[in-house]
Amino acid sequence: MPMVLLECDKDIPERRKHIYLKAPNEDSREFLPIANAATIPGTLSERGCAFCGAKLVIGGVLKDTIQMIHGPLGCAYDTWHTKRYPTDNGHFNMKYVWSTDMKESHVVFGGEKRLEQSIHEAFNEMPEIKRMIVYTTCPTALIGDDIKAVVKKVMKERPDVDIFTVECPGFAGVSQSKGHHVLNIGWINEKVETLEKEITSPYTMNFIGDFNIQGDTQLLQTYWDRLGIQVIAHFTGNGTYDDLRCMHQAQLNVVNCARSSGYIANELKKRYGIPRLDIDSWGFNYMAEGIRKICAFFGIEDKGEALIADEYAKWKPKLDWYKERLKGTKMAIWTGGPRLWHWTKSVEDDLGIKVVAMSSKFGHEEDFEKVIARGQEGTYYIDDGNELEFFEIIDRVKPDVIFTGPRVGELVKKLHIPYVNGHAYHNGPYMGFEGFVNLARDTYNAVYNPLAHLAGIDIRNEIPAQLPERIREAA
Amino acid sequence: MSTCEVAAVKPAEVKLVARDRGGIINPMYDCQPAGAQYAGIGVKDCIPLVHGGQGCTMFVRLLFAQHFKENFDIASTSLHEDSAVFGGVKRIEEGVMVLARRYPNLRVIPIITTCSTEVIGDDIEGTINICNKALKAEFPDRKIHLVPVHTPSFKGSHVTGYAECMKSLVKTIAKGGKPTGKLNVFPGWVNPGDVTELKHYLKEMGVDHHVFMDTEDFDSPMLPNKTIETHGKTTVEDIQASGAAIGSLSLARYESLPATKFLYDEFTVPNHLIDTPYGIANTDAMLRKISEITGKPIPESLVRERGIALDALADLAHMFFANKKVAIYGHPDMVLGLAKFCMEVELEPVLLLIGDDQGSKYKKDPRIEELKQTAHFDMEIIHNADLWELEKRITKGDLKLDLIMGHSKGRYIAIYNDIPMVRVGFPTFDRAGLYRKPTMGYRGAMELAETIANTMFAHMEYTKNKEWILNTW
Repeated sequence: MPMVLLECDKDIPERRKHIYLKAPNEDSREFLPIANAATIPGTLSERGCAFCGAKLVIGGVLKDTIQMIHGPLGCAYDTWHTKRYPTDNGHFNMKYVWSTDMKESHVVFGGEKRLEQSIHEAFNEMPEIKRMIVYTTCPTALIGDDIKAVVKKVMKERPDVDIFTVECPGFAGVSQSKGHHVLNIGWINEKVETLEKEITSPYTMNFIGDFNIQGDTQLLQTYWDRLGIQVIAHFTGNGTYDDLRCMHQAQLNVVNCARSSGYIANELKKRYGIPRLDIDSWGFNYMAEGIRKICAFFGIEDKGEALIADEYAKWKPKLDWYKERLKGTKMAIWTGGPRLWHWTKSVEDDLGIKVVAMSSKFGHEEDFEKVIARGQEGTYYIDDGNELEFFEIIDRVKPDVIFTGPRVGELVKKLHIPYVNGHAYHNGPYMGFEGFVNLARDTYNAVYNPLAHLAGIDIRNEIPAQLPERIREAA
Repeated sequence: MSTCEVAAVKPAEVKLVARDRGGIINPMYDCQPAGAQYAGIGVKDCIPLVHGGQGCTMFVRLLFAQHFKENFDIASTSLHEDSAVFGGVKRIEEGVMVLARRYPNLRVIPIITTCSTEVIGDDIEGTINICNKALKAEFPDRKIHLVPVHTPSFKGSHVTGYAECMKSLVKTIAKGGKPTGKLNVFPGWVNPGDVTELKHYLKEMGVDHHVFMDTEDFDSPMLPNKTIETHGKTTVEDIQASGAAIGSLSLARYESLPATKFLYDEFTVPNHLIDTPYGIANTDAMLRKISEITGKPIPESLVRERGIALDALADLAHMFFANKKVAIYGHPDMVLGLAKFCMEVELEPVLLLIGDDQGSKYKKDPRIEELKQTAHFDMEIIHNADLWELEKRITKGDLKLDLIMGHSKGRYIAIYNDIPMVRVGFPTFDRAGLYRKPTMGYRGAMELAETIANTMFAHMEYTKNKEWILNTW
């Protein structure tokens, strides 16, 4: 009975195919949850749209690029102030968003002129910025505005600017995942190999699928600097538009987030013969393994071992302090997709945490293959989980902490369960060795928060004789 | 603090201008469906169903969670390519039935359209008829109100979307009948702290009332038994009764007028539109109006509350606030109300930014006319504004500000130009607990003025700018 029909799903029995409970001694390949399928309307799913997958997740990270959203103002407003991806140039990407502010007349007569005007205005208002990505949205896609033609015209008039187009309306595909794909493939088709950069090291790579959440990219960059590896392009954490045009120059593609960015790595392999190396950047064991693989590729194993030894000496005692206090903690992970398989084994191996339930918003079946292989028995693996399912799963597995977004975090707070921001982090970065100590610390501070204990007390009753089970210590 | 400049002798000018660009850099408002969703969550046992792409719901739920630090239930029809080609009404039907089956206490489903489904042209009213039949067949003992809300994103903003959904809710649910003797209060899009303050006044005056929407429980507790009480308190019965009230008190011209106008046209419920009660004089006018409608006197207790507020304001106005230049942005009713409040405490609101395409309406707004008559300093009011209008006046123009008042989306303008900022309006996710505090009424004026003062004081100390003035106060 590995596929599970929850009580709340009795009226939508097709949900049974999306929820798997891993049992001992069975071939889990036979029970893969259906994923990347359309959501049932009215279920209060967690999913976003394809436009968001392109703009908010990948394109909008770039630190030097105007994000021109061709549509009504809401798509711009909503994909602004919802991420924590700083840059080393004053966070241009988080400060601004652009919209063509489409109105009814544009729906009737077409919005191409408005787009053209908005592009010129944006460059005129910020003359130091020379790069732009233009996105379509639901209505501009439906009315069929030819944004490529507009962009071609503007680029002819303004030879110093370069503009990329993403035609990915919100209704495309079943989740944000579609937007990742469209942007990946569009970029390799149109922009890679349109620029060459200076090569400064015998070892070059692209680092793909890391979006500098709370400084992840910048922390890992210190490793690559110490190893003497030149990163041609970061796709796209703290990245620049022009660096991404040079991706063809790298000797190796290192992929962290395979779901959002594996596509471009595959295409770079196909078209330029650049090998793809997938690593996990969260967790001590995984990070060390990743560094070893990269260094083996370049034949600089000694440098890699020295870096790992340094980092272990510095951070492992801190990690172990938290491990001692976190072992046996039950965690749930309700995030996008890949973090399920990045995290389940690393928190188990590095921190002694048991992940008891995981839900993915936009993961595909290959993500579930990975997470079920890495995850534990007795754990629930859920595709596109919805609110009522979360309540029921919480009842079944009783997690001590949930890694999820802030809105669901507010919901589970009422159930006296602390959350840690699994998307934007509480106090990151979480990647790398130092980062995983941060994750451990935030988990510890959440699990040992006295408020959850106080919340359970009804002051009309006797003072509970028993002290809280967990006593906090200074780190 | 004070610079002792002699004011130039020239008549003050108040200009009303529109954004001169077509595109937007940093929008002040979200789109219509977002506002409709905000009105919808104010109703008890209600889950709005947004007919559009999933982002139209997911991001708006996140936005509300950011502001209130709470979760609100909103559903999506999860529109995809096939619906874009063949129409999406089947997804509404499925969404309604799934909600009804899985949420046995559900009584209201506003069906909120978006840009995509308006462009496709889905027949919402026709679909509701089909759904009503299906609901009746499957749940003969339940009444679920399906409310059509047309909110294409390419018109108006979240302000008009809020007003539209309020109107649709009363239009679908309100009834006439035996007079209730109660007052309808439509505060507009305000915080739970404001609703609590308004209810306090009505209680002090002994006025029976319904607040539309009663969002007091958007500030909800962690309880020992883990009950979740985060939802609107306005019930179906409250909305039904709105058609038989003694009157409607409209506190927001742009947010509540369509609903109250409907109640007047349909049920002849008298509508009383007043200036949004920010500051002392506007609050005075509101209490007088309530007294006039209900015949209930203004009690001594409110005279005292007014006095406490005035006493606090008097400590701040001419010593710290006078001649300080302020920019205010946000919802038009709030911005115009706060401009008047600022002038009461001698702050000079030199720049007002209001954000959507209702330009012709603003030209006829009597509050703007009043500002033209009373301002003793130059003032620019920008409509259809974006936040770039504010930023470029500071970074590229010659606007010198002592204070910015607005929501969190403009935070970087204040931070990177080193200008003290007080968060007001929606959303204010980068400051703790603001949803709980009133900005309306006497207490709201007092708390706001004190927040402004403390923000300025902290800035003086942080920048070592005459911080010694507070050596003694």
